[in-house]
Amino acid sequence: MEFAFTAAETAFADEVRGFLRDNPLDRFPLDGMDAGYGSGAHSRAFMRALGERGWIAMCWPEAFGGRAYPMFFKLVLFEELARAGAPFGPLAGSWQTADAIIEYGSERLRREVLPAIARGDATFWQGYSEPDAGSDLLALKTEARRDGDEWVIRGHKIWSSHAGIATHGLVFCRTSREARRSQGFSMFVVPNGTPGMDVRPITSLTGGVYHYEVFLDEVRVPAELMLGPEGQGFQALLNGLDSDRFWGRFYKAPALERVLRRLVEFANATRAGDRPLSRDPVVRRRLAAMATEIAALRLLFYRAACLIRDGAPIGYETAVAKVYADETGQKLARLGMDVLGPWAPLRAGARHARLDGEISHAYLTSLGHTIAGGTAEVLRTTVAVRGLGLPAEPRRG
Amino acid sequence: MASAFRPSLGGADVDFRPSSAQQLLIATARDFLSKHGDDARLWSAMSELGWPGLLVPAEYGGSAGSILDVVLLVEELGRAAAPGPFVASAVVATSILLAAGTAEQRKRHLPGLASGERTVAVAVLDDGGSFDPARVSLAVTADGRLTGSKLFVEAADVAEAVLVVVRVDGEPAVLLIPTDRPGVSRLPLETIGTEPVFEVAFDDVRVAAGDRLHPLGADAERLRTALNAGALARTAEMVGAAQRVLELAVEHARTRVQGGRPIGGYQAIQHACADLVRDVDASRGLLYAAAWRLAEGEPAGTDVALAKAYAGEACLTVARRGHQIFGAIGYCDEHPLHILHKRILAASLDCGDAALHLETVAQAIGLR
Repeated sequence: MEFAFTAAETAFADEVRGFLRDNPLDRFPLDGMDAGYGSGAHSRAFMRALGERGWIAMCWPEAFGGRAYPMFFKLVLFEELARAGAPFGPLAGSWQTADAIIEYGSERLRREVLPAIARGDATFWQGYSEPDAGSDLLALKTEARRDGDEWVIRGHKIWSSHAGIATHGLVFCRTSREARRSQGFSMFVVPNGTPGMDVRPITSLTGGVYHYEVFLDEVRVPAELMLGPEGQGFQALLNGLDSDRFWGRFYKAPALERVLRRLVEFANATRAGDRPLSRDPVVRRRLAAMATEIAALRLLFYRAACLIRDGAPIGYETAVAKVYADETGQKLARLGMDVLGPWAPLRAGARHARLDGEISHAYLTSLGHTIAGGTAEVLRTTVAVRGLGLPAEPRRG
Repeated sequence: MASAFRPSLGGADVDFRPSSAQQLLIATARDFLSKHGDDARLWSAMSELGWPGLLVPAEYGGSAGSILDVVLLVEELGRAAAPGPFVASAVVATSILLAAGTAEQRKRHLPGLASGERTVAVAVLDDGGSFDPARVSLAVTADGRLTGSKLFVEAADVAEAVLVVVRVDGEPAVLLIPTDRPGVSRLPLETIGTEPVFEVAFDDVRVAAGDRLHPLGADAERLRTALNAGALARTAEMVGAAQRVLELAVEHARTRVQGGRPIGGYQAIQHACADLVRDVDASRGLLYAAAWRLAEGEPAGTDVALAKAYAGEACLTVARRGHQIFGAIGYCDEHPLHILHKRILAASLDCGDAALHLETVAQAIGLR
């Protein structure tokens, strides 16, 4: 066993902290909403700053412009950024897309898109869900048909995060009719602004825009922009799900640490009758118990990280970690509302807002986390069936 | 706040896996306990394997293992719900003697503790209801007499001596009192648990100078560290027992047929089982991280508190959900579920309950 970072990892953490010290976060304009996952808002300026330091591409092979750093450097970067509350919203998606392009992207994707990812210029929205295809993704109706050197896409995607500000969509669609329901799907990297693409914002319950729906009406895409083997898209998607769940939630624990730290400061500084709120036994006990959960959550992710690093098979670990991350985040937001009391509902920027109105925003956004990227119910079933070997419920169709 | 993974120079990559030697220890223990778990001679059989001497230095006949080895072994003891004084004597008492025993006390007691021929119990909690040494109330009088009681002392019936945390001149101190000294009595306490616990009563017991361990004074932290080894062992016991509940529950869900299919085919049961996995895995992660730090000799007070407070809640939840998954059969005395449940409950209280450890966490996260 070993539970300490290596000297190189520690030195890199210092480097990231130095960067954050020298570059106050208010210097980076935000161009998309913070959805509360722990990775902050979408900020192209911040992504470019990461790109300038070579940190986006640092773990890619040298042949693709990277430095071949070990995977744990990504964890170090995520933790330092999340603890600081930095706006690196698109980073996990950029890394995932880059890994797929390095693994099986066309020459053109490698030549054009990969360097743009490394610079922080290219960010991605996921075109998976559709109005009638949520947890049952295979019910999707978007289709692409081959026409010479191009594919022509028709369909309707929804719940695509940052689709209005990202540069490319990852559009998952049917490319052939096969006997097996899970066959015949492919993925395309579709540049925003391609004729026929209509991106419309969906105002969320926070009042802000995070999701979009995207109408694709005869959108023509060069065949080279297909990502991965034709017709095997669903298998590729499934194979990637374990690491998607991991990379899309790894930063939650350090982000929750930051929120907890702010609540502790609030409790210390707030009077409740004749004593500080921190001396209220219920508040004190609940904040401490929350700290144990966040520490446990962080270790669940590190354990999954070791499996991914070692190429070990993943049964249930990332599914367990994802559900726990989202439910712990909801619990902390709920606790934060209790701690703030009457001030809890005040929005960011409101007069009298406490903790910059951050808690009310986290409270609302966290409601979506147990739904996005695999609902808690679907994932618990995954844990039981794939992880524990319990029999799958009979399915129709 | 997250105290695992503090920067340290050098070192290998982060790794949750026990070493190959530790894996051998686990496999040996699991095999041994599956054969001898119910054996009346369990303690002497364990002693033949040298387990009671795991924490004892070689000069006293032990094998000088680390707390990490102990944690892995106790996890297996918890999984088998094995009875006996291992945690009380071989972990807590041994750790206290190593931390604060005089040369004479170590020489006299450690070889017997290592061989398993002797056992020593530990008595901390009294009327104050706390395992915090700073909050014990039992005090030695100015003329060296002790009158009063310690509560929930495990292994007091078999122990030759008891380490008693008391106050001397207002400061916490530890005494080593033979159980056959006049005025000492051991009264069984009737609990819902499976392991016997005792009130150890002192009726005007004479305390000699040689009974005292090294004065703690500024070194009270050393006693806390020794008690932390106990808290960690109790956490390991909970994790092992909860792991067993998980295994039994999953096996039951696979094989118990109702409505024409195994109950594990229904989402209500599937989702309950998924939560058991989370609770056990999350508890074990904190356990290993804390044990690793303690074994490295780094300050681990916060890590131990995080692990014990979390696992106490999570493992008890596993036991309680286990009952729901098992249905009526889990309500029977002959079914092992209630034994595992009661072990978790007892372990969650020994060496500091959730209230004690959460207060440690509260201070560590900066709550004033």
